[in-house]
Amino acid sequence: MIDGLSYGLMIVGLIFWFWGTLPLVGDRSVLFKLHSLSVSDTLGSMSMIAGLLLKIPREWPLLVLALISLAIWNTVLGYVLAYCSYRGEGEDDE
Amino acid sequence: MNGIIIAMLLALLIPIYEAYRDSHIWQKMLAFASIATKTSMMILVVSVLRDDWMIGVVGVLILSVGNAALMLLAHVIKRSDEAGLYEP
Repeated sequence: MIDGLSYGLMIVGLIFWFWGTLPLVGDRSVLFKLHSLSVSDTLGSMSMIAGLLLKIPREWPLLVLALISLAIWNTVLGYVLAYCSYRGEGEDDE
Repeated sequence: MNGIIIAMLLALLIPIYEAYRDSHIWQKMLAFASIATKTSMMILVVSVLRDDWMIGVVGVLILSVGNAALMLLAHVIKRSDEAGLYEP
């Protein structure tokens, strides 16, 4: 049961990954791609880590650290990439 | 579990192809950000598979430091854009 749930969570994460990464190859704008990418990478990876947590609960400190750093760093990286790549008003305010 | 890692490898190939194909710097930065997250996740899955904490710590470090380095790089590119070092 637990194994099934853990594999289920990892497969959901994989679906999120493919859903967010496939538009990357298209010709849409940077911000459009960034939105689907950061949502899918963050949520997909977090559901995979939840699946890993179910598999080996003994290693929970490391996986919880990965969860927290994933949630923080990926989100902030998405913001920084959006801010730095955005031309226009973003350039005036220093 | 091996099937999941193979599927993760396939998912990793997409941003690698995008980084190779696109010449626009910000599209490449997007691809690199995705590569960084995916590789560190794969390292975490392998560490759970092998039940080895050290590999897991490396995965978490890459997750944090890799993304931090990409943020710094994004700011450097933005400043060099503003200074007009490279033609758009």
